Amino acid sequence: MPASPQTSLYDQLVRVTHVYLGPAADRFIARQVQNHLHKPPDQLSKEDLRQLIDWIRVAVSLLTEDSEIVEEYAAQLEQLAGGEHKSKRSK
Amino acid sequence: MPPDVSPLAPVRLPLEQRAEAEALFTSIGEGAISTDEFGRITRINPVAQSILGYKESELLGEWFPKKIVAVTADDIVVNLIDRPISKAFLTGRSISEKIFYRRKDGQKIPVAVSVSPILVDNKPLGAIEVFRDITLQEEVDRMKSEFISLASHQLRTPLSAIKTYSHMLVDGYMGKLTTTQKQSLRTIIGAADRMNELVSTLLNITRIESGTIAITPKQLHVDKIAEEVLKELSLPATDKNITLSLHCRDKSRAALKTDTLILKEILTNLVSNAIKYTPKGGTVTITVRPRAKDVLVHVNDTGWGIPKYAQDQVFSKFFRAPNIVKRETTGTGLGLYLVKGLVDALDGNIWFKSDEATGTNFYFTIPRTKQTSRRTRGQPLVASQQPETRPEDYS
Repeated sequence: MPASPQTSLYDQLVRVTHVYLGPAADRFIARQVQNHLHKPPDQLSKEDLRQLIDWIRVAVSLLTEDSEIVEEYAAQLEQLAGGEHKSKRSK
Repeated sequence: MPPDVSPLAPVRLPLEQRAEAEALFTSIGEGAISTDEFGRITRINPVAQSILGYKESELLGEWFPKKIVAVTADDIVVNLIDRPISKAFLTGRSISEKIFYRRKDGQKIPVAVSVSPILVDNKPLGAIEVFRDITLQEEVDRMKSEFISLASHQLRTPLSAIKTYSHMLVDGYMGKLTTTQKQSLRTIIGAADRMNELVSTLLNITRIESGTIAITPKQLHVDKIAEEVLKELSLPATDKNITLSLHCRDKSRAALKTDTLILKEILTNLVSNAIKYTPKGGTVTITVRPRAKDVLVHVNDTGWGIPKYAQDQVFSKFFRAPNIVKRETTGTGLGLYLVKGLVDALDGNIWFKSDEATGTNFYFTIPRTKQTSRRTRGQPLVASQQPETRPEDYS
């Protein structure tokens, strides 16, 4: 379901993350934004998200062994950030 | 086939530096494990193998969180998001914590863990976790706690006798006393009360440190408990002409389920400290603020404050602020250490702001619910979370 244009990037990010992390999504993303970018979550930009994706990917890799899920999630984040997903999964 | 097992491979260090780094990794006296960006173990040194009871070949390429199981003191598996390595990636910083690892033979061992992300061009490539077995240290701590507990119990019995007979003497059960004799007895009773408080504090600390503190949640109104505490402490406040007050926004929402005695102990400690360390004519105010996930309690005083340079030690055992020691000679430095332990026991958070010019503000939260976690495939990876109550959210 495409996000409405009014929805902030942060909200979209939490919504995508919720599928994978459930109720922890908000806290998980808020901490990433605050700790790595040192800015309030609602000021998240696409450029910021691009910087964050590697951190988010590694953090999620410690929550699931299934690297397919991690890649699927990372691809959605790349899409939100307006970029192209490059898989890092080992062959 | 396991992936490239060298944690340093992506960094492409010159051969010499790489050999040096690997020698360091292998020879350090603590357990060390490195992982790649997918949480798979890329290297494990001999000390880590010995602590965990695994051979190197059994761990290389394995997913770290699954192979090395972290548990709590109660043997409950630590939620993946709460493991030090996850926290290191959530915060981008080194994390040091005490947890328990389950060895290959199933034995639970306490370890002090320190984990740091491996960064290249500010991008995370994995992590290095260093840990040491603290079984012996834990045993010494346990014996120390047992000794304090035993000594405290033994002290209570003679104290009860001293107080009972002193009260009987003051009340005239054993004949009429002179004013001087009564005053002396009141001094004895006061000293016995202080000794009793100290013994209770030591016992509570022992219970917290040994993890045996019992929590009995009951439905209560936080503002009512605060009111009771202020009433009980009105005498010492009046003696110093200190005004006590209570504010509660939306009383109907100040109800929650938690342990009455522990909450009361927390408030009593904070308010009595505030009274003790506030000069004559000052004010001590409790503000209860009900919120969606918790109730925030704020204890404000117009006291001497805590010097900036000493603020990071406030919750340490036996800490007494240097500016206070000069003014107030009594005190053990155990009160705030106890308060922190009690707030933690209720799954709350505590923090403070203090200024030597204006006084001190202590804040603590009591969560409305204590949630449990569950994780199955096809479900969200993290089914629940602890209440979000970090200090910066309220500052």
